[in-house]
Amino acid sequence: MAEQIIFYILALVIAVFSIMAVTSKKVIRSATYLLFVLLATAGLFLMLNYYYLFAVQVTVYAGGVMILFIMAIFLTHKPGDEFKTKMNWKVKSSAILSVLGLLLSGYIVVANVTRIINYVSGKEMKMQELGVTMMGTEKYQFLLPFEAMSVLLLACIIGAIMIARKEKNNVESNNDLDK
Amino acid sequence: MDYISNFLFMRSEVSLLAVMVFLLLFDLIAGKKGMKYFQPIALIAFAAHTIWTFVPYEAGVSFGGMYDYKPVMTIVKGILNIATLIVFMQAKEVFDTERQGNKRGEFYFLTMVTLLGMYFMISSGHFLMLFIGLEMASIPLATIVAMEKFSKKSAEAGAKYILLAAFSSGVMLFGISYLYGTVGTLYFTDMPNLISANPLQIMAFVFFVAGLFFKVSLVPFHLWAADVYEGAPTNVTAYLSVVSKGSAVFVLMLLLYKVFGNLIVQWQGILFAVIVLSITVGNLFALRQDNIKRFLAFSSISQAGYLALGIISGTAFGMTTMIYYIFVYVFSNLAAFGVISSIENKTGKVNISDYKGLYSTNPKLSFIMMLAMFSLGGIPIFAGFFSKFFIFAAALEKGFYVLVLIAVINTIISLYYYLLVVKAMFIDSSDNPIPTIQTDNYNRVSLFICTAGIILIGLFGVIMDKIELYSFGM
Repeated sequence: MAEQIIFYILALVIAVFSIMAVTSKKVIRSATYLLFVLLATAGLFLMLNYYYLFAVQVTVYAGGVMILFIMAIFLTHKPGDEFKTKMNWKVKSSAILSVLGLLLSGYIVVANVTRIINYVSGKEMKMQELGVTMMGTEKYQFLLPFEAMSVLLLACIIGAIMIARKEKNNVESNNDLDK
Repeated sequence: MDYISNFLFMRSEVSLLAVMVFLLLFDLIAGKKGMKYFQPIALIAFAAHTIWTFVPYEAGVSFGGMYDYKPVMTIVKGILNIATLIVFMQAKEVFDTERQGNKRGEFYFLTMVTLLGMYFMISSGHFLMLFIGLEMASIPLATIVAMEKFSKKSAEAGAKYILLAAFSSGVMLFGISYLYGTVGTLYFTDMPNLISANPLQIMAFVFFVAGLFFKVSLVPFHLWAADVYEGAPTNVTAYLSVVSKGSAVFVLMLLLYKVFGNLIVQWQGILFAVIVLSITVGNLFALRQDNIKRFLAFSSISQAGYLALGIISGTAFGMTTMIYYIFVYVFSNLAAFGVISSIENKTGKVNISDYKGLYSTNPKLSFIMMLAMFSLGGIPIFAGFFSKFFIFAAALEKGFYVLVLIAVINTIISLYYYLLVVKAMFIDSSDNPIPTIQTDNYNRVSLFICTAGIILIGLFGVIMDKIELYSFGM
C-alpha cells in the first residue's frame, strides 16, 4: 500500500513537471523542472531495487547533464528572456490531433494493461552481475552495443568539434550569412 | 566462440572500422604536405574495403544473437559501399578548395561512421543494436549536413535534421518499450512467435515503424526531406538520398518479414496508404520545384514509395526486386547528383532554369543528366525501367492491382517532370547558359561508373539472378 502511494506521488511529479518543462516560457525554468523529472525517475528506480541505475540517474543525469544544460543555456541564449510561441491554426490543429492520438493510445494501453508481463523480480541486482552482463558475449549479454556506443560517442565528439571550432576564413563566409 | 572470433565474424564492420582508424591517424600525423594525398589515400583504402568485403560468407550469429549475418546482407552492404565510394569521388573537388579543405578528414570519418551505423542496423539481431545503429546513422549525419555552418540554409538543415531525428527516435523507442512489455524479449529470433496481433502490439508496432518511415522519408514523415536536402552540401544530399534511404528501406523490410510476420495484415494496410501518399505527394510537389536539389528531394520521396512497393508483397521475389531497385537507384540518382555538384562547384547555380541551354556548352554533362532522368523516370532499355517493372511484377503477384495502377499512373506524371529537366537542357535556349566547365578526373570516373551502371545493369540478367540466389536463403 505504501509503495503504491509513493509510486503515485512520483508519477504525479513526473507528469506535472514534464508538462511544466515544455510549457514554461523561460528556458532556465524549463531546465529546472526537468531536474525534478529526472530525480523522480531516480525514485522509481529505487522503488524497483535498481540501486545502480538509481545512482547513475542521480549523478549522471540530475548532476552532470543538468549542469551541462544550464551551462549551454547561459552560453547560447539570454537566459532571462521570455520565449514566445505563436498560436496559429497550424499549432491549434496539431494540438487537437495530438490530444486525440494521446487519448487513443491511452485507451489502448488501459484496456490492454493485463497483457503487459511483469518482470520485476523484487530481488536486488548485484553490481557484479551487471558488469558480467555488460561485458559478456553470450545471449542476454551486451558487449557489442557497449562497444558500438563508444564509436558513436567518438563520432559525436568529432562532429561537435567540427561544428563548433573557429574557421580561419570567417570574414568571407560571414558575408554569405547576410545574403 | 571466444572473444576475438566474435568480433572477427563481423567482417565488413571490422574492416570499415580499420579504414576509419587508419584515416583518423593519418589525418592526425600527416602535416600540410601529407594532407595533399589524404583524399586519394582515403579513396583507395575505401575501395579496397569495398572489394574485399564483397564476398559473401556463411550465415551465422555472433555475440549470442546480437549480430545476425545472412549472405544477402553482404550484397546490400556492397551496394551501400559502392554508393559511398561514388559520393566520395564526387566530393573530392569540394574538399580540394580552400574553403572546405580543413574539414576533409572529418567529412570522411563522419560519413564512414554513419555507414558503420547502417551496417549495424542491417545486421542487428536485437532491438538495442538496431537502435544504436540508427542513432549512429543519424547523429553524425546531422553534423555533416550542417558542415557549411556559415551558410544559413546548411545550419538550418542540420538543426532540423537532428531535432526531427531525435523526435522520431523517441517515438520509436516508445514503441519498442511496449513491444518489450508484451513479449518480454528484444531478440529478433525470439519475438515472432510471441507477437499475436493484440491491440497493444499493433500500437507499439505503429509507433516503431513511424521511426523507420522517418528515415526512409515516406509521406506523412517526409516534411524534413526537402529543406534538409536543399540546405545540405550537395554531396551530403546525395549520400542522404541514396545510402541513408537504401539502408533504412532494407532494414524496414527485414523487420517486417522477420519479426512482424504475424502482423502482415496490419503492415500491408499501413504500407498501402503510405505508398499511395508517398508516390502521389512526392510527384505533385516535385512538379513545381525550380531548385534542382529540392526537385530531387521530392522525386526521392516518390522513389521511396516505389521501394516500399517492393516490400508490400511479403515474398522473397519482392525482396529481390527491392534490392535490385536500390542498386539501380544508386547509379541513377548519383549520376544526377554528380552533374549537379560539378556544376554547383564551378558556378554556384542550382536551379533548373539555370540549366537552359546546357547542351550547347556542356554536351557530356547534359547527356549523363539525361540518362539519369530517363532511368529515374523508367524509360525502357535503361536500368530504371527494369527495376520498376520487377517491382510492379512482385506487387501484382500478390494481387495489389489498384496499388500498381496508382503507381503506374504516377510513373507517367513523374516522366513529365523528369523530362522538364531534359527539355531545359536540350531544347530551351538561353542568352547566358552555364559556361563550359571542367570537372576533375575523380568526378569523371564516378560519372562514368554511374553511366555504365544505368546502361548495363538492366541488360545483364545475371545481377538479378545473383541477388535472387541469396535473398531466397532468408
